[in-house]
Amino acid sequence: MPSAVQTLDISPVGRVEGDLDVRVNIQDGVVVDAWTQAELFRGFEVILRDKDPQAGLVVTPRACGICGASHLTCAAWALDTAWQTEVPRNAILARNLGQLVESLQSLPRHHYGLFMIDYTNKNYSKSKFYEEAVKRWSPFTGTNYEIGVTISGKPVEIYALLGGQWPHSSYMVPGGVMCAPTLTDVTRAWSILEYFRRDWMEKIWLGCSLERYEEIKTYDDFKAWLDEKPEHANSDLGMFWRMSEDCGMDKFGRGHGQFVSWGYLPHEDKYQKPTIDGRNAALIMKSGVYDGKTDQFKLMDQKYTREDTMHSWYDEPGGLHPFDRTTIPTQKNTTNMAGQYSWSTAVRHEENGRLEAGPLSRQLIAGGKHGESWQHYDPLVLEMYKKLGGASVMLRHFARMHEGVKLYRQAEHALREFKLNDPWYIKPTERDGRGWGATEAIRGALCHWIEVKDGKIKNYQIIAPTTWNVGPRSADGVRGPMEQALIGSPIRDVHDPVEVGHVCRSYDSCLVCTVHAHDAKTGEELARFRTA
Amino acid sequence: MANLLWLQGGACSGNTMSFLNAEEPSACDLVTDFGVNVLWHPSLGMELGDNLKKLLNSLTSGEMALDIFVFEGTVVNAPNGTGEWNRFAGRPMKDWVADLAKVAAYTVAIGDCATWGGIPATAPNPSDSEGLQFLKRKHGGFLGADYKSKAGLPVINVPGCPAHPDWITQIVVAVATGRGGDLSLDEFQRPKTFFTSFTQTGCTRNMHFAYKVSATEFGQRKGCLFYDLGCRGPMTHSPCNRILWNRQSSKTRAGMPCMGCTEPEFPFFELMPGTVFKTQTVMGVPKDMPTGVDKAGYIKLTAAAKAASPAWAEDDIFVV
Repeated sequence: MPSAVQTLDISPVGRVEGDLDVRVNIQDGVVVDAWTQAELFRGFEVILRDKDPQAGLVVTPRACGICGASHLTCAAWALDTAWQTEVPRNAILARNLGQLVESLQSLPRHHYGLFMIDYTNKNYSKSKFYEEAVKRWSPFTGTNYEIGVTISGKPVEIYALLGGQWPHSSYMVPGGVMCAPTLTDVTRAWSILEYFRRDWMEKIWLGCSLERYEEIKTYDDFKAWLDEKPEHANSDLGMFWRMSEDCGMDKFGRGHGQFVSWGYLPHEDKYQKPTIDGRNAALIMKSGVYDGKTDQFKLMDQKYTREDTMHSWYDEPGGLHPFDRTTIPTQKNTTNMAGQYSWSTAVRHEENGRLEAGPLSRQLIAGGKHGESWQHYDPLVLEMYKKLGGASVMLRHFARMHEGVKLYRQAEHALREFKLNDPWYIKPTERDGRGWGATEAIRGALCHWIEVKDGKIKNYQIIAPTTWNVGPRSADGVRGPMEQALIGSPIRDVHDPVEVGHVCRSYDSCLVCTVHAHDAKTGEELARFRTA
Repeated sequence: MANLLWLQGGACSGNTMSFLNAEEPSACDLVTDFGVNVLWHPSLGMELGDNLKKLLNSLTSGEMALDIFVFEGTVVNAPNGTGEWNRFAGRPMKDWVADLAKVAAYTVAIGDCATWGGIPATAPNPSDSEGLQFLKRKHGGFLGADYKSKAGLPVINVPGCPAHPDWITQIVVAVATGRGGDLSLDEFQRPKTFFTSFTQTGCTRNMHFAYKVSATEFGQRKGCLFYDLGCRGPMTHSPCNRILWNRQSSKTRAGMPCMGCTEPEFPFFELMPGTVFKTQTVMGVPKDMPTGVDKAGYIKLTAAAKAASPAWAEDDIFVV
């Protein structure tokens, strides 16, 4: 006879898109059901209504201090498509570079600050890697924690050279960028990149050169690399992989098996006259929807985006495209798991349903043969996904970190391609219209829709990766991606359910969370802990 | 050893991200070298096991000393003053803030949201947000105009969107090392050491300001951003061009107009149509003058500047 269901309330979990609470039901030591709740409403879409068309450039980077460059990228391209601007080559490169260095910053900051500290949890004290994990990854005092957290500030120094500061610059504007870097800026930027590569990427993270790592094309290559030298096996990547396998991180966190990416990094020669429809064919990193069940790929298109509100605290009809939304918050946000329970909408693809956003989605889509022949192609993570039996906490985090070398190379490309005496900005004509801008923040698909009417914003809508991932059930009752991914997680200790945290953190939702564990019968609180 | 608790209300985590860019001292140095005991911070990875609520309760009951209470983000009051739109650990965050502010030796507001309401409090302020002791220029805020922390100081306001990491770390170190009494605050409760000089102080475009050479559009290396592009550097108090950002630059150096984010009115003009990145003028004269300059003085100053302007001022001086 199955044992009684225990309910754990995890509150709060959210910080960037809002505070997130999670409830999980546990039976026989395994999560059998889950609900994710966004717990903060600031109303950025409401604030932007009737404001200056360029207000999004100021306001939206401040929606999220962690991926502000990505918001700024979306805000700028959305206005570019609405105003039908021309964006000079240099400006496309400068926008891409800003976005790239923000993502490079996030690699060590998330890896050490948010993710690896869990590997020092007593839950893993029996692992043969535990002692070394504590030495390296303990908060503040861990040898590599301190190196990683401190060096994470380096890449965004390049952002400051372009935009004056990180976070929260608004240097990307319709028609280009505000800056016009000089040779000194470019040389400094090179030097900062080199420092980051030498002192962290190669020395600590990989234990080998970027070139050696780039030789890895298949899962067998990866395993051979791991065994090749102690420097590889004992690098932070090698240790992460081996300890993850040892502790079963490859065994849970599966999810729906459906993935989305808007694609990112428009090519400097292919998107100077930006349009909504022309974007897919202009991207270095292609967009896509990947169905893991049928192994099918296709391009992603914004017109298929729908937001259900049946379980969300909004008084407006569900199933709308963002251009048709009005964002009317429910005044009394009472939690009712059968009714409304989140400030997040349930985002879905009109044809493919609920989709997971994030680095794993990007890397799976990078393995598809869809898109243009010149676009980036890398089948490694797709092969791992198939051989390892689908998504997991381990694979999701590996995909995030695997992207680092590629981001680094794209940053080099931008620096190499700047033509310092060419234009950085072409003054546009302000006009009414509809626009859409998208990118991939480090944690996944981000986009903005804008409608400008009578010289002011009529409607501004944002769908963030966290909206895709932590959304509640859709109108048809299908769980959100993270709700689904939590199912099957083993919970060894209900007083310290760190596994729930692993799943949430593997999505890199930047969620700060506290877990309350309640006994299902008495409602007594059993445990409470942070998951990010 | 000083106990520090950092919480976030209606926040974007931007001040935390800025704080993590710190060097000399870094976030880790605060703990290892300066005896700051971070009891809890939303993203610094302190493991609390079963004890977050117990910890908060032991602070509010006075059982454990709360030396520094850092708050980032707005205090959310919606809906109808209940604060239910921002819940934390099972209660409205505003209730935690009220209880913790009572027991804190020093209360520090980091960033515009916590100081004056910032972006979330922009009209129509849908989340009914306010700062700890101000709403825009209005003294009072969530804690009330008379609030004093146990050390006898009002909320120490470290504004900026975000605040610079050095402004944050230096205030934390000052308080943690017993130098809290050395802090002198201005009328908006900002530490004078940072917020007496202007954003323009040290700007590389100062010569162009002096000769009234304007950057009329973006993407230019020469020209001052004040005359056409809405820069607020001459009337904003901050050390952005003395203590550089990310050790490299500042917005005005890079070509982005200062938006006045260390002042209570940010974002200025509530971002109404026609106000973003455009200098607001009346009959060709800026509506907002450099601090202390009147209209007649401004007209004389710019006429003289134009007349005296050397030919080179119209050329690039920051050449490739």
